[in-house]
Amino acid sequence: METNYTEQIQIYKTNKIAALYPTAKLIIVVLYIFCTLVIGTVRITSLSLPLLLIPEFGIVVFLLIVSEISKNGYNILKDIIKFAAIIFFVQVFLIPGGRLVFRIFFLTLYEEGIRSGISLAFTLLNIAGIFIWFFQTTETKEIIRALEDSGVHYKAAYIMLSTFQMIDVLSQNSKTILNAQRARGIETDGNLLLRIKAFIPVLLPLFLTAITGVEERVLALETKGFLVECPKTHLLNVKRSGHEAYAVMVAALCTIFILAGRVMLCFLS
Amino acid sequence: MKYKTHFLKHDFSMLAILVIPIGVAVNFVGGQTAAILKLPLYLDAIGTMFVSMLCGPWVGAAAGALSNLVSGVINPSVLPFIIVNIGVGLVTGFLANKNMFSSWWKWPISICIISAITIILSAPVVVLLYGGITGGGTSIITAVVMAAGVNIWTAFLGTEGIFTVLDRILSFIICLSVIRCIPPRILIKYKCGCTFIKNQNKLPPM
Repeated sequence: METNYTEQIQIYKTNKIAALYPTAKLIIVVLYIFCTLVIGTVRITSLSLPLLLIPEFGIVVFLLIVSEISKNGYNILKDIIKFAAIIFFVQVFLIPGGRLVFRIFFLTLYEEGIRSGISLAFTLLNIAGIFIWFFQTTETKEIIRALEDSGVHYKAAYIMLSTFQMIDVLSQNSKTILNAQRARGIETDGNLLLRIKAFIPVLLPLFLTAITGVEERVLALETKGFLVECPKTHLLNVKRSGHEAYAVMVAALCTIFILAGRVMLCFLS
Repeated sequence: MKYKTHFLKHDFSMLAILVIPIGVAVNFVGGQTAAILKLPLYLDAIGTMFVSMLCGPWVGAAAGALSNLVSGVINPSVLPFIIVNIGVGLVTGFLANKNMFSSWWKWPISICIISAITIILSAPVVVLLYGGITGGGTSIITAVVMAAGVNIWTAFLGTEGIFTVLDRILSFIICLSVIRCIPPRILIKYKCGCTFIKNQNKLPPM
């Protein structure tokens, strides 16, 4: 089927959860972070550990699988899991304090360390996980279009959009410059001082080419009426899928349920 | 210089709007290049400092905030460090407003102030949220020092402090050398650009 340019750049999604409107997803993210903070205060077992954060992480995994982005999501989540694991082990084995739980050879486990280790690592995993879900299911173009619809100034929206394009361009350029400087004989391997020295000839040309281009882009934008205060036309349209109300309702209900549970626990104990 | 306005609308001129994305992208690429060259530094505030030095504190703070939001898309664990980047942007911008980058003896003072702000703002984030570990190369040293029984705040300040100062010195050198390469006819269009022009006598009266 023949399609014109405006139809080509529209974003089509088949998955119902991934196709939610960006603002609705953002509300879910905020509610989830709030829930994580509330659940983090619940202490169970005799060591008073915030263990409920671990099953909560299941929700992130569930969302990633349901939105059909488990592969991409896992690739990014991998680094966060490594980071969280390092934090956990450093906290568990290196923080002395509280009661001694048990000791094997040289490894000693203290109450304080386990508590802060689980709390820090799983709070990080939960909050980072929900952000990964949000950014993997939503393209930056969509987020910015939704932001502009909800009243953000068009200049701010343009800054954000052009930032993402600039990053792509400059990353490409930096690789080219690094290879060119290597070919010219600048050493990029060796001791610390040598590598710091190599950093400057890579970044300077990158910076300068970007800065000199700015003036021309100002002229180009001004001739196209960027500064004119009037309604703008948009090429990209973000559609509401119609399930937003249900999704936000479910998230709000879960939050109220968790909050009620937390208050109940307060009265019981 | 009598012409001094601190209104946001004047600060966010057309040039400033187009420099912010470059600053953010340089922050991002600088961090990447530092990782490729296996430097134990982050070098992720070069763009923020550059934008603040040319366009003043508010534009710099905007660039700093945006750069952490953007890198948060790929690695959400850097999102809390947004206050550090905003702080660096604001302080560098105020220093530029106060003409603190014009002669060589002012540079060390400015670097000290910027480094101090970075350490003061990043210490609570690292210690309270991440338990002293940032995942970078210096974390191992911090962990070893902590294992030796040193207080977590002291351990962080001792190890990260040195590298932060080194980081800022290198960032500052790069920013200044870039600005030195920009011709005066372009520099004069930026808000704080006039302070970097060598021959001040030839400037038109403002």
